[in-house]
Amino acid sequence: MTKCHCRNPLKPYPATIVKIIDETPDVKTFQMVFDDPEVMENFRQKPGQVAQLSVFGVGEATISITSSPTRKGILEFSVKKVGMLTSALHRLEPGNKVGIRGPYGNHFPYEVMKGKDLLFIGGGIGLAPLRALIDFVLAEENRRDYGKVDIIYGARSMDDLCFKYDILDRWPQMPGTTVYTTIDRTEPGWEGHVGFVPAYLEEINPSPENKYAITCGPPIMIKFVLQALEKMGFSDDQVITTLELKMKCGIGKCGRCNIGSKYVCLDGPVFYLSQLKQLPPEF
Amino acid sequence: MEAYTISRDNLRTWLDTLARDYTLIAPVREEETVSLFKPVRGFAEINLGYTNSTVSPKGWLFPQTEEMFFFSTSDGQITLADAQTPGPAVLFGLRPCDIKGILALDPVFNGAYQDCYYQKRRQDTILVGLSCTRVERHCFCTSMGGGPTDGEGADLLLTEMDDGYGIEVLTPRGEELVNRYQQYFDADRENRVIPAREELGKKLARQFTRNVDTTGVKEFLDQHFELPYWGELARRCLGCGICTYICPTCHCFDIFDQSPDGESGVRSRCWDSCMFSHFTRMAGGHNPRPTQKERVRNRFLHKLKYHRDRYNLDGCVGCGRCVTRCPVNIDIRQIIADLQEVARHD
Repeated sequence: MTKCHCRNPLKPYPATIVKIIDETPDVKTFQMVFDDPEVMENFRQKPGQVAQLSVFGVGEATISITSSPTRKGILEFSVKKVGMLTSALHRLEPGNKVGIRGPYGNHFPYEVMKGKDLLFIGGGIGLAPLRALIDFVLAEENRRDYGKVDIIYGARSMDDLCFKYDILDRWPQMPGTTVYTTIDRTEPGWEGHVGFVPAYLEEINPSPENKYAITCGPPIMIKFVLQALEKMGFSDDQVITTLELKMKCGIGKCGRCNIGSKYVCLDGPVFYLSQLKQLPPEF
Repeated sequence: MEAYTISRDNLRTWLDTLARDYTLIAPVREEETVSLFKPVRGFAEINLGYTNSTVSPKGWLFPQTEEMFFFSTSDGQITLADAQTPGPAVLFGLRPCDIKGILALDPVFNGAYQDCYYQKRRQDTILVGLSCTRVERHCFCTSMGGGPTDGEGADLLLTEMDDGYGIEVLTPRGEELVNRYQQYFDADRENRVIPAREELGKKLARQFTRNVDTTGVKEFLDQHFELPYWGELARRCLGCGICTYICPTCHCFDIFDQSPDGESGVRSRCWDSCMFSHFTRMAGGHNPRPTQKERVRNRFLHKLKYHRDRYNLDGCVGCGRCVTRCPVNIDIRQIIADLQEVARHD
């Protein structure tokens, strides 16, 4: 038997909510800081990784980390109110205590992506995991490692657009960055594009040359985005997405998030399309 | 390694002593047909005549419900306190298939993230195996690479003999335990123990009523995920989950909080089952395994393929519990045979 010297990986670290940003009627971004500064310092997530958030007395849920590791001293989680744990989180206020453990899972292949143009395609809350990589790539210390950055982002309505401060104000001003925003149906006050994300993607028709496409959103959006990318000539190794599955332990023990022989919590959540095609269609 | 013998009287005294010095977990007959592994106070409570316990002894190392830690949120602060662990224990009278079941659980709870709860109990527990004395009609350990007198994974292996029990020392930890209680043991000067165990093994091997050939099944499943066969099987499956609860290698669990006052409470984990519809259902309602067909397929692929892909070990040890307890007679031996048949016609 191997002796266990590790800190108990199933025990979260106490953390405090320092700020809550209302993104949409059902999405909030929570800024959190570990109570122990040493834990904060040692928590080294990579873009694309997830964490387990605890509301003590209610339970845990797996949430993607939406802040870039280049942003020190704080973690951000953007959470849509869909179930018990996320509803409990939405009831909390700044100053309330939570638990965090992680980071878990693999990450976007940001090393492999160096020297390439990047095309981000997000829908709704699906922008949350992509945002960690976008901000990582756009961070001053990393920006020269990557080529042009295109971001296509859509939501059902203006109200449903997450990270408006990023997509409408901050990112469009960054060098070598273009942001394309769309909403499903026209509404008063919206002067931008109207239509679904996959159709907008086809309209923009980006060249696959020297480029990675990274997508996340509702399953139906991803399905049509993948088809559109294929039509444009993107190979399966140029397309990257993240999967979401129910997880409990996050560390490959509880047996819940398997797709075939893979565990999303350990082998994912980030997969190349070529890898996805090797997996049984149970996601 | 050394071998010893112990008389029936000395075995009784030794077990009474073990129960005082350690937490002694042993097979106990609970009711007419149910036998379980649970803590005992001495020999009198132990049932050494059992063939196989109704529920596998994995529950000592991975309890059905286990408190993980306590939390308290008073004064705006979070305090977490570890739950107590049981300390030194002897898991006594394990049948060879169940020891193999523990060996199949070990790599799950080990790895890059070590499961501290399992690891602590595993380190603190001495495994004492007990060779089988008969073969039940549902047993098929020999088909899964085991055998009714295999000691692999145990610290000590006991085998019943005419005048008592033979004891084979299989690990240094087993040796320590024997040395500590050497007054109860006699050296096996005439080298009777190993031949007796081997003889018994040969005799029992002839008693298996059903052998299955697993050759090529994993390779076939590597290539075939969609089979109409899973749909046929699922039409019978009730989704009751009994197969997963009594299985010595199933390890799925849920994690939940209890907090009667909303301020303090306990986080626990408990066995869960991939046979249940909610197991993979997400908060938004999406379920990647929406019908019993996907769930049945997942369980048998886990037993025959996934566990081997990840850990190079079968996820089935041939104990036959799921065969006897399934209310609709779903029989993994028949599934293996059927898959062979499907593969032949592929």
